[in-house]
Amino acid sequence: MKPASNTLWQFWLDLLGQALLGLADHKLRTALSATGIAIGIAAVILIATVNRSGKEVIFSELQTFGLKSVWVHRNYKVDDPRRVIRGGTGISNDDINALKASASCPALAKFTPILWPGRYAPLFATRGNRYSSAGVEGVGSAYLEINNDALVVGRGFNPQDIERRRAVAVIGEQVRNDLFAADENPVGKELRIADDKFEIIGVLAYKDRSFLASINSTGGQQDPNGRILIPYNRLQTMLGTEDITMIQGEAVSPGMARAAAEQIVAFLKRRHQDAFKYRIETMQQYVANADVILGIVSTIGLVAATVSLLVAGLGILNIMSTSVIERTREIGLRKAIGGGEGEIMSQFLIEATLISLLGGVFGLLLGAVSSVAITAWTHYPLVPEFSFIVIGFCVSLVVGLISGVYPAYRAAKLRPVEALRYE
Amino acid sequence: MIRLEGAEKYYTTGAEPIHVLRGISLHIASGEFVSIMGPSGSGKSTLMNILGCLDTLDKGTYELDRRRVDTVNNSEQAKIRNRKFGFVFQQFNLIPRLSALRNVELPMIYGRLPLAERQQRARQALHRVGLGDRCSHTPARLSGGQQQRVAIARALVNDPDVIIADEPTGSLDSHAGEEIMNIFSELHAQGKLIIMVTHEHDIAAYAQRIIRLRDGVIAEDLRK
Repeated sequence: MKPASNTLWQFWLDLLGQALLGLADHKLRTALSATGIAIGIAAVILIATVNRSGKEVIFSELQTFGLKSVWVHRNYKVDDPRRVIRGGTGISNDDINALKASASCPALAKFTPILWPGRYAPLFATRGNRYSSAGVEGVGSAYLEINNDALVVGRGFNPQDIERRRAVAVIGEQVRNDLFAADENPVGKELRIADDKFEIIGVLAYKDRSFLASINSTGGQQDPNGRILIPYNRLQTMLGTEDITMIQGEAVSPGMARAAAEQIVAFLKRRHQDAFKYRIETMQQYVANADVILGIVSTIGLVAATVSLLVAGLGILNIMSTSVIERTREIGLRKAIGGGEGEIMSQFLIEATLISLLGGVFGLLLGAVSSVAITAWTHYPLVPEFSFIVIGFCVSLVVGLISGVYPAYRAAKLRPVEALRYE
Repeated sequence: MIRLEGAEKYYTTGAEPIHVLRGISLHIASGEFVSIMGPSGSGKSTLMNILGCLDTLDKGTYELDRRRVDTVNNSEQAKIRNRKFGFVFQQFNLIPRLSALRNVELPMIYGRLPLAERQQRARQALHRVGLGDRCSHTPARLSGGQQQRVAIARALVNDPDVIIADEPTGSLDSHAGEEIMNIFSELHAQGKLIIMVTHEHDIAAYAQRIIRLRDGVIAEDLRK
């Protein structure tokens, strides 16, 4: 009487059928305990979606700085008061020219000097009776490329613009709105910075850093759409300085960012006989920070979801234990007519798992709906992730199995004589 | 067919163990119709449970078809119950949410028979007890006598050698009880071994052999 494989299939289908009938007897009870699982699974889905979407938002905003970007500037902090403190930014035009010619920074693909006038004088851009309070930045020809800046009209800087200290400017979206009517093409027009006239050669494409600004990130406070870019050496002439505020470089790869920055620092220290200390920032460190913050948020969420799944699992455990007690006589009968321990155990395990899976399916739907709702509300991009379905399914399967084990074991171990006598 | 030698059974539910069976030796041949009688506490239910492989011995041996069955494990016991025995209980023990047909199918599910064969045999069994037209009824829609007949169909469906009946008429009126006993007589005529526990003399009288228990021993073994 060895069962053939098709009768084995039949057997499991039968056990499934028995379990379904068992659940159908207590629809409300089944639905209520499934709801607990549904809420837990929905929470898991929602957390995963928010995590993914958040990552997408932060990543796309960080990308506006160039993911391979590094920044090197002077560290003004004094930790040895006996040392003579020298003035200046620690970076000069000679350093820039030497770095251009040098081969000592192999991890550095390209770089641009950046000069901020803030320390010298506030600068306004004016045009007729319109003005813009945008920040003026002196940059090199590689700046636009390193910062992933695109142009909506006109052109960027070419090496000749820099070499000849031309009075040309590339402006951001905000500056254009401040100085020009909506239908006016700014390219070829003039604007004034202090007493100097500049020809506008290009307009930068809009960059969104609203999320970074909303969390008061340093990068976000500088409005990327309020920039007026001019050749750095032209700005030096206006300010009467030879200093460079910082060097922004692009590493050959994201993994080499730290090395590229350290190579620049070593180069500068050699040239200045270690007179200055420098500070390094890399985009990779901010990406890592963002990952850490998102990780913390997700962990908190996952702990909450795990607790709700745990409670839901206890609910199933409770319901199944009640069910086993109520159906003691039925179990006794099933054993009397030949139901083995494995078969009885399987039936109750299947019942517990079915409750949980039912909850899992509703949880997936609930999670999907609330994910769509929350991304629509926050204007985050919705990143559909089908692995969530697999995860939700597996989690509810496991919760069902775990919470079903004890009641099913108790059912399987009932002694037929006593079970049949149970009132 | 059945050889029970020196069977003893204790229960330790209370403070001190109760000696329920105090050494019972019993041979039953195939095709017999045996009634087990005795006052409550005499051990007749325990004896029946042991004979039906629902319970195990503390002492003694039990041979079924020349095979020791007192030493087998739980799952082997379940298989023996499934193939060798059909059970009929006082309280019918039908599963209320299942139709008559599905109730009768149950033993064959555990016997792992294919669906088509199961349904055919369940229908035949219900027909045999006169309920061919009640296949889709749930127990709640059947009378007590009809429910007990469904239970008999369930006991018969795996074609067991032994039918074990525990007070099969205990919950029925005399008319329905008579119908049930007629079915048992028919089954006996067809060669089934029937072991029935009862305390009613007129019901016991259907059997060819009456065993009386008192205080865990056989007090009388009468053959007609």
